[in-house]
Amino acid sequence: MPREAEISVNERAFILQALQEDIRLDGRAFDAFRPLELSFGDEYGVADVQFGKTRVIARISVDVTAPLPERKFDGIFQIVTEFSPMASPAFEVGRPTDAEVILARILEKTIRRSNALDTESLCIIAGLKCFALRADVHIIDHDGGLIDASCVAVMAALQHFRRPDVIVEGEKATILSIREREPIPLSILHQPLCVTFSYFEEGEIFLVDANLAEEQVRQGEVIISMNKHGEICQVAKYGGATIDALALLNCTNVALQKVKEFSKTIQKRLEEDAKKRDAGGLMAELSAENAR
Amino acid sequence: MAPLPTADLTTLHRADGSATYTHLSHTIIGSVNGPIEVQRRDELPSSATLEVNIRPAGGVGTPRERHLETLVHDTLRSVVLVEKIPRTLVQVTLQVRSLPEEESGGADSSTTASSLTLLPHLLHTSLLALLSASIPLRTTLTSTVVAIPRDGQGMLVSPTANELLRRRPMRSIHVFAFDGEGKLLLNESEGEFGVEEWDEACEMAEEVCCKGDGGVGLGEGMDVDGEGQAQSLEAWLRGVVGRKVEVEQRWRVAT
Repeated sequence: MPREAEISVNERAFILQALQEDIRLDGRAFDAFRPLELSFGDEYGVADVQFGKTRVIARISVDVTAPLPERKFDGIFQIVTEFSPMASPAFEVGRPTDAEVILARILEKTIRRSNALDTESLCIIAGLKCFALRADVHIIDHDGGLIDASCVAVMAALQHFRRPDVIVEGEKATILSIREREPIPLSILHQPLCVTFSYFEEGEIFLVDANLAEEQVRQGEVIISMNKHGEICQVAKYGGATIDALALLNCTNVALQKVKEFSKTIQKRLEEDAKKRDAGGLMAELSAENAR
Repeated sequence: MAPLPTADLTTLHRADGSATYTHLSHTIIGSVNGPIEVQRRDELPSSATLEVNIRPAGGVGTPRERHLETLVHDTLRSVVLVEKIPRTLVQVTLQVRSLPEEESGGADSSTTASSLTLLPHLLHTSLLALLSASIPLRTTLTSTVVAIPRDGQGMLVSPTANELLRRRPMRSIHVFAFDGEGKLLLNESEGEFGVEEWDEACEMAEEVCCKGDGGVGLGEGMDVDGEGQAQSLEAWLRGVVGRKVEVEQRWRVAT
């Protein structure tokens, strides 16, 4: 496993100099994301997210297991992020890098701990059977901004996923396959999304959606997760330099605007996909979903 | 016969070479990094080290993936000119992106007939990715699955997951891979079978992989829905790479 190629001194100086002059290498504004491209697979629960050259695929799968003994009424939800050498030769299977640990932790805090998914709805028979949901995050191409892309991918995949319906008779539960009955969407309570700010020059300059070169030059990062209603789920700061509280406040405002944009894009893509699947216009009749 | 696979070369930006391959609702993304620096403990003094990583669509790798990795690794070792690039590493990563509906039912994975059905797809993807990364190769390879149903009638050549599910259980499943000269590179079989059956299966696979365009008719007793004389996999491979080269060489032709 070779180490990640470090950015050269010249490149570093060049990027920093350009930032001083309010220019980013790819010509974007400081608070502009690369265009978000989102597509869904043929199956339920597969989302393919692209931010420029960064590409992440999230995939949701479901299984039936016994719930944890201390959480009898809850289903199990797990997010798995494992980097493969596909994204960069520096990633080795089975030996997580710092970036991987941070990504896993942020996703855990943002999506799982903020209760984005109602795990109680995954319970089939209390203490005996529940759905175990897992979200696999595959990093296909790496050009910075992995956290934001992964978060969008997982949230979009969760909203796209449909779980099989069940019939419970006493202690007996029957899982109905997709052919037997139209599967049910998950109950999602809110949609948290992450926005990463990279800061330079002791917190003087903030960049949104840094690419890999900018990530290697930055002093630190602030990751803000919030939903489209402006409720902050978590704030994390990595890296040495200090930042001003007011600057942080400003970041949350920018984040809110970005999160709203992403939510709108995800919603639009989901509707397009639903329309594509609803070819005969029978979906409303087939649906076994109960209104919350 | 099943339709030919579709493939795109160099679909990723970061990796040295990559390919996206789709066949019978299997989609696999393959990437190759190499030749790169090798870790001291893996370094071979007279040849390159090959590393194959197979990542399933859902979940982390299981012994099934490890087994497939070994098979792909051993096959690729005889395809890559490892002696030309000693003391280096060639990293092959194969990410399964989607599986046919019949095989992806997470909970009841018993429907998965055999891990072997994935193998030809993995081999094709890795070869295309290696070509895209310009790793020196000795030869190309083509591969296919032959399944023999319980009654022994009507062997299935590269069957769809649905066909396998419906004719279940299969008596035996064979995977064959041939090099550019039509020599057998890999033979992996599962189940009960006799020598004659194996011979017949091998011949069929050879026809699908290597012949075809030479005007050699398909043998009798093979139940194919007459789609006319299809292209062989060998010709398909040539076509995929040829198209890519054409696109890349546009600038030369235009002037």
